[in-house]
Amino acid sequence: MELLGLFLALFGAAIAGGMSGIGSAIGIGIAGNSAAGVMTEDPNKFVQCLALQALPGTQGIYGLLIVFVVLNKVGLLAGTPAPLTWVQGLLIFAACTPVALVCWISAIAQGKTSAASIQMISKKPEAFATSMVLPAMVETYAVLSLLMSIIMLNYIAL
Amino acid sequence: MGVAELKKAELYYHRSVQEDVAKTLQHSGSCQIIETSGTTEPAADVAERLTLCEEQHTHLRYLFRSIGGHYTDPVSSIDRMLGEKPVLSMTELAQAADKTDLKTLAASVRKMETQLNALRLEASQLKTNASILSLLRDFPYPLSVLGDGTKTLKGLFAVFPADALEAFRASVAAQLSAETELFISPGASGDREVRVVVLYLRTHEPQVLDLCAQSGASPVELPSGVRDVVSAELSAIAGRVAELERREADLQEDLKRTANEWMPTLQRLFDYWNILSGRYGALASSDATDRTFRTSFWVPTTALPHLQKRLEAISPNVALVVSDPGPEDEPPTLLKNHPLARPAEVLTNLYSPPPYGEVDPTPFVAPFFFIFFGMCLGDAGYALVMGAGIWMLFRKYRRIPFSVGNFLNLFAMGAVMTFIYGAITGSFFGDFIDVVFFMAPLRPLKNALFILDPMGKPMVVLGISLLLGVIHLMFGLAVAAWDAYRKGNIVDAVGDKACWILFVTGLILVGTSSALPFVFLPGLCMALVGGCIIFWYAGRGTKNIFLKIGSGLYALYGSTSYLGDILSYSRLLALGLGSAVIGSIINLLGTMAVGVPYIGWVLAGAIVIGGHVFGIAVNLLGAFVHSMRLQYVEFFSKFYSGGGSIFRPLTLSTQYVDVIDPESGFSS
Repeated sequence: MELLGLFLALFGAAIAGGMSGIGSAIGIGIAGNSAAGVMTEDPNKFVQCLALQALPGTQGIYGLLIVFVVLNKVGLLAGTPAPLTWVQGLLIFAACTPVALVCWISAIAQGKTSAASIQMISKKPEAFATSMVLPAMVETYAVLSLLMSIIMLNYIAL
Repeated sequence: MGVAELKKAELYYHRSVQEDVAKTLQHSGSCQIIETSGTTEPAADVAERLTLCEEQHTHLRYLFRSIGGHYTDPVSSIDRMLGEKPVLSMTELAQAADKTDLKTLAASVRKMETQLNALRLEASQLKTNASILSLLRDFPYPLSVLGDGTKTLKGLFAVFPADALEAFRASVAAQLSAETELFISPGASGDREVRVVVLYLRTHEPQVLDLCAQSGASPVELPSGVRDVVSAELSAIAGRVAELERREADLQEDLKRTANEWMPTLQRLFDYWNILSGRYGALASSDATDRTFRTSFWVPTTALPHLQKRLEAISPNVALVVSDPGPEDEPPTLLKNHPLARPAEVLTNLYSPPPYGEVDPTPFVAPFFFIFFGMCLGDAGYALVMGAGIWMLFRKYRRIPFSVGNFLNLFAMGAVMTFIYGAITGSFFGDFIDVVFFMAPLRPLKNALFILDPMGKPMVVLGISLLLGVIHLMFGLAVAAWDAYRKGNIVDAVGDKACWILFVTGLILVGTSSALPFVFLPGLCMALVGGCIIFWYAGRGTKNIFLKIGSGLYALYGSTSYLGDILSYSRLLALGLGSAVIGSIINLLGTMAVGVPYIGWVLAGAIVIGGHVFGIAVNLLGAFVHSMRLQYVEFFSKFYSGGGSIFRPLTLSTQYVDVIDPESGFSS
């Protein structure tokens, strides 16, 4: 039973990292399909397409970031995990959920927007800058969820 | 600062000097030709030259397409983008054009391509034949028996459904007895179709065909001209295919040789005809009578005196009339900013330049963009890598084009801010200084500069991020208010812009009064005054009291969008923290790898270097996109909508060479 707290905390970190990674993979996949289509017509657009395709990848990184913050918080990185009560573990789990949910879904949505932006630069290469802003609008919510998780984790007293 | 002043120029000149005039306008690189109203046709000789340019371009495009792929360009496209091009004069280009007969060259390449296509077609036909024949690989008789047959004998090659074969065999045995022979081509046991040769007496032909039809067999046409046994035919085909492939390789070699011999010249000619096409295009856009041309163009006031001198030097038959843009004109926009703000012109132009005479947002964008970029990337080590990379590019490439240089400068200035922010938040490749033993001497320096801890005290940095957001937004509103005031709309300046500054700032002060009680009263007053003005301004257009109240309340409800806008700046904390933490994760993985036996240090080095390269790429993209977004979405929506067109002068626009012409009297 004494490991239940640690288990809950790690489970929270795992779903934050795992689900955001799943979302990013799907999002990048969607954008990649679109990029491949555009590049069959014009291989010179590789760099622009790659930049737009990479945008939904940040959610996975935010997930990784939360994993790191949690591991750091419970002392696993230092090698001696702090003894957590199950309530503390559950609190950490709760703090991980914003990133797990929002990064997962928003990466997929951002992938679709990126795919549309890639289509946009295939017709209007000069609109590259504005085409990058559209996916960045979606990412706002992933950033906000990251902030929520970080702030919550910061305020959980161990 | 801002938008450069332009003049509208009308140039009248005699037909005899048209070439010189167009050349001078083009070499000056400072005239954007205004299209004519389109009422007059271009003069015949100009139209003829334009057609010539178009013809040469058609040949060049064809040649680039056909032999361009065989040519390995010694100058990479990155080198070319950074200005690494051969320098030539117009005279040299003209000589090259005189010496090259593009039409003949294109014709000879076209001939080679036609031959190549014919060879490929024949080879592919032969391969198809071979695949059909290989179905009959074990058929022991000459194939002529399947075509013409002998006097008494004939053969039929057909594909049978596998399940119908037994029935067919039984019917043949029953009706035609031993005078018919079946050769079944070996195939896999699960095949649904079986290939069968039926050999029969000519007299039995109708019955055989009938039985075949009943079994659902479909006859296979053999390639024409095959008469020998299958193995002999197959080896003949293989021999012919090898011969064709040898000839194809020879032709490819010829094309490659042609490409290597001609591509450098073709690239030069491409630029040459491009320049001429621009020049004659300018003449075609002019109004012409039998003897006189009138060309109108926009020119920056600063470039005018020198241009005028050069034009007047051509001939006394040239007259330049200069005027200010009229109300009906829509001049293009040329941005002209202080060197420190100039790199941010890229951002303004990417969004949409301001219409002529409107506020140029570049000087306002520049400082905020650099600060935001610095906070998002937020790592002194990454900043050093960026700075070093850009410095090396500037050292290696001495003739970087203005626009590319501007872009590099944008990142260079971003790197400076990144370094500063990284230093005060103690991030140098993440926590590299803290975890690596040989960096220990740098620790006191790092700690001395370390005044902000986003990891330990994220709320402080969040506060700073939001405060920057408030300043940015209020600054945007202030610019809008000033612009409205400048245009004489004092009511709009106050009612629509300035009062929002009062209202939002007041609300924020009230909101923070739990920590700083003394700001409550001034905050409340500001919010009340601002709110009242907003309420009044929104309802002033209508006399209906309910509508007045409704639109006033609706306007006040608009303050929620400010809340969203301000919270959006929290990304500055999140992204900066992201860079630092990713850096630390990479270092952590590196320190773990040190423990691996024998290759520990090498592995650690590879992880740290590879990881940080990845970190720089990902965070650079994020920092650029998000700082740009804060400008475009949050900041510009307060005061700027763009809508101008970029000043695009007639220039010696080239792709492959740099053209200099000292005789023109303009520095390149």
